[in-house]
Amino acid sequence: MADDKILIIMTSGPDTPRRCATPFFFATLATAMDYDVTMFFTIDGTLLLKKGLADTVFPKEGGKSVGEFLKEAMDSGVKMTACTASLELHGLSPEDLIPEVKMVGGASMWQMAEESKTVLTF
Amino acid sequence: MAIIRGCNLPEDLYYYPEKHLWLKPLGGNLFRIGLTPIAGKLAGGKLNAVTIRSKNIGQEVQHGKSLATLESSKYVGPVPAPITGIVKSGNDRLAADPNLVISDPYGEGWVAEIEATKWDQEKAALLTGAEGLAEYEKKLAAAGISCG
Repeated sequence: MADDKILIIMTSGPDTPRRCATPFFFATLATAMDYDVTMFFTIDGTLLLKKGLADTVFPKEGGKSVGEFLKEAMDSGVKMTACTASLELHGLSPEDLIPEVKMVGGASMWQMAEESKTVLTF
Repeated sequence: MAIIRGCNLPEDLYYYPEKHLWLKPLGGNLFRIGLTPIAGKLAGGKLNAVTIRSKNIGQEVQHGKSLATLESSKYVGPVPAPITGIVKSGNDRLAADPNLVISDPYGEGWVAEIEATKWDQEKAALLTGAEGLAEYEKKLAAAGISCG
């Protein structure tokens, strides 16, 4: 039996650092429970995938950077996808993002949501 | 009892060194599973949660699949099944006190009990006895891990 899928939609970005650790933590934890986890970044969430940017965002002063949370999630097998339209919002091109990200259209988000057992939005 | 690189690793247990788990034969095909002090150390020495996958109770889990999860400020990850088998029980006390895994790893801090279904095929991958511990010591040395 295939493992259940989980989709985590991330809309929070560097303007709200305290909202930027838990989504990655929950994603990593879900892979530890053998879920098949995808994160979908849109609105300001996409900015966290800009090369180097997540390393400069700290949810807690003196704590781990969002970059570290992001790396843990990717190392555990979380798949990262980003909304193509949100790139336009921020004047970014796909090359500006870390190479592990797969660019997808908005309709893909609906498909992923349909296939997932659980969808969380942050 | 054997102390290997500062870590208490009893000789009469089986070990799954990749994830620093121990297995204790309870008779028949039943095994109790827990984490060695090495796992506790790698997780930062203080745990926020150890959660047994309750949906696994009564089900067969394959070797390597998630039995439970560990959460600490330093680490989040699975406790994978070191052998294939039917999960008979999980240690309910860990919900209230996850740090039993650290304070009493071979006693009250056990994680789950599994009835092995592929023991004959899978036991070769586990380490035990003086010879097994010597092998474990090599792996710890290579990774630069100690409990000191």
